[in-house]
Amino acid sequence: MRSFLDAVLSGRILPLFRKELLQLKRNRRLVIMLIIPPTVQIILFGFALNPDVKNLRLGIADYSRGVESRELVSAFDESLSFRIVAYYPSGDALGDAITHGDLDAGLVIPQDFARDRLRNRTADVQVLLDATNSNTAAIAGSYAARIIAALNEQYASARPQQVSAPAPSALAGDAGASAPAPVGTGGPQLRRATIAPHITPLYNPGLETSWFISTGMIGTLLVLMGSLVAAASMVREKETGTIEQLLMTPADATEIIIAKTSPLLVLLSGDIAIALVVCRLVFGVPIRGSLLLLISAGVLCVFAGIGIGTFLATITKSQQQAQLMAFFVNPPIALLSGVATPVEAMPTWMQPLTNLNPVRHFAVISRGVLLKGVGLDVLYPNMLALAAAALLLVAFSVWRFRRQLG
Amino acid sequence: MRRILAQARKELTQIQRDRLALVLALVLPMILLALFGLALSLEVKNLPVVIQDFDQSALSRAYIDSFRASLTFQIVALEPDERPEHALDDGKARAAIIIPRDFGRDIERGREADVQILVDATDANTANVMRGYAVAITQSYLASIRPPASSGGPAIRARTRLWYNPGRSSDLYIGPGVFAVILALFPPLLAALSMSREGEQKTILQVYVSSITAHEYLLGKILAYGVIATAQWALALVCSHFLFGMWFAGDPTPLLIGTVLYLFCNVCFGVMVGAAIPNQAAAIQAVQFGGFLFSFLLSGFLFPISNIPASIRWVTAVVPARYYIVLARDAFVRGGGWTAVWYAPLMLTVLGAFFFFVAWRNMRRMQVDA
Repeated sequence: MRSFLDAVLSGRILPLFRKELLQLKRNRRLVIMLIIPPTVQIILFGFALNPDVKNLRLGIADYSRGVESRELVSAFDESLSFRIVAYYPSGDALGDAITHGDLDAGLVIPQDFARDRLRNRTADVQVLLDATNSNTAAIAGSYAARIIAALNEQYASARPQQVSAPAPSALAGDAGASAPAPVGTGGPQLRRATIAPHITPLYNPGLETSWFISTGMIGTLLVLMGSLVAAASMVREKETGTIEQLLMTPADATEIIIAKTSPLLVLLSGDIAIALVVCRLVFGVPIRGSLLLLISAGVLCVFAGIGIGTFLATITKSQQQAQLMAFFVNPPIALLSGVATPVEAMPTWMQPLTNLNPVRHFAVISRGVLLKGVGLDVLYPNMLALAAAALLLVAFSVWRFRRQLG
Repeated sequence: MRRILAQARKELTQIQRDRLALVLALVLPMILLALFGLALSLEVKNLPVVIQDFDQSALSRAYIDSFRASLTFQIVALEPDERPEHALDDGKARAAIIIPRDFGRDIERGREADVQILVDATDANTANVMRGYAVAITQSYLASIRPPASSGGPAIRARTRLWYNPGRSSDLYIGPGVFAVILALFPPLLAALSMSREGEQKTILQVYVSSITAHEYLLGKILAYGVIATAQWALALVCSHFLFGMWFAGDPTPLLIGTVLYLFCNVCFGVMVGAAIPNQAAAIQAVQFGGFLFSFLLSGFLFPISNIPASIRWVTAVVPARYYIVLARDAFVRGGGWTAVWYAPLMLTVLGAFFFFVAWRNMRRMQVDA
């Protein structure tokens, strides 16, 4: 801290700062690199990483071919989740189509389906799911179960001996008025009882998947761009040998680093703005909380990135080496962050490790601020962790840099 | 032919002496393979959920117990004076179940009982999964409290069969994709580095003045890096067998032939990039962007290609990893064989030939200039 104050007061830092700014101004490639890749990446990630399960390709093999089976098929057809692409003469042909990857799901209706239905017996149908994609299969299975349950409920209420009961609804806000039931207690009444779960998706009522990815990507980009640019600007001095010239000046290592990183910090902060604008305009991400909080978290992320970049610069001799070393550091940072996939889906032993990752905390903060609209009172643990990570990374890399120069 | 082999031998000797390159070639791909496999999954378990029970009846407690029994949800305590919305804001819970006062009475009287379930939808996919499970749990709870019906159960019963992956292990989905993405990153990276190094250090001029022709020079490079890529492939296959339990499910020939073409394709891509950009740092970025990012995002690796908006979906047609993922999923999971995947090797051949042609034209032009 003392050396920092000394550096600022001595007035040596300003000329150094100007030198860096001039250098950056002439480096048009760097400026382009700071604008185009982040924009493209947020857009690509937001559009391409889309786990929506809609319009699943459904094939039908209907051995029964009656009014009853057609009712079942149209129940599937009417749902948005399935799209009937073809009818097959036999279950085997349907199975082959699934094996070839032409279908996501298949429905096999046996020959005695109509008879069973007419005699009020339980009729079995087969739902075949291609479980290669385990996530899609799980969701498709629950869709199919829901469609059939709704149909059953409809049949049950149509039975003459029973008092009509409203069908359960899984849709948000779909509150069916309950039918008056005869007064009585116990046993037989239970058969007519239903539970209507009114499920409300909070923060993202339209279930936009891009909101999850794009808000998380901001942090990944800030750290990755920060490390890339910082490493490049530090290593260039080493590569071209100008670092010795810098050391000949009365400025000490701390001053050099401060002067080197502060223009980068300004430039990279521009990336926060770019990323936010893309999120807002392209994906319609809401901004419900304090932007100031988000921007300070972003600046901390940039600091963390600069720390990582400076560290990479201390262990490498050339730009090419620094970039290759980044392959060891960046993938874990990007992957173990809960940005693209939820942290809860990682192995249990790995989940606590993600707390060491600044990007993870940024993701919590940006989703908290943008989507949930919560403030520092909720997010302070993540803010503190992010600040600690940034401070630690910068301190460590400065220490290494100074030792190398000394 | 002799000159091609000589060129290949020179490349292999060079890489043998470069420690960083060796690590990049053999160690890092396996580390990334493991990391991807462990970290990328959508299978959520133990999502924290809070419950506010205004009813406090035997039925409501039984309902809560059925949530407690599920693997997806984990009930966490709600402070007495805390609102469930706050627990969601806080990130302490991902869902909240609110049971109104009349829940038990409504069920006993055969009426419709309401339950409110709030779901944190910041992660839309997880929200969707939670919604599905909440409905399923509610239905099975209802079935458990209803007396066995005299008229013989529901009208229609679905027998669901999960094909190819009955345990719904996400490893079997991610595994083949990681395999393809790793091979889209490292072989072209090494090839591009070696090509652009020659440009950067001007050793390419020695090549120009030697008697070797453009295609011989390129084929020599491709052969050398093809050998390394094959070693990476074999290592990755062994690793993913142990990590993800992947092994051939059917006829392995489409994958084996596809692998040769895919590796050729990727090495050619690297050579093409390296020939076009005589600057190692820039070449690395180009491979990272073109090879890795595209293979990661636009190949159907994590999510189906049909989910990508049509305006950028056409790009996937020129991403080699897309075809290799089809081949790998078929070989390791479905086992459909040639009739299912015949088009993939064809497309890989076309793309590989295109990359080679561009690299060759670039080389020839420079040679004439020099």
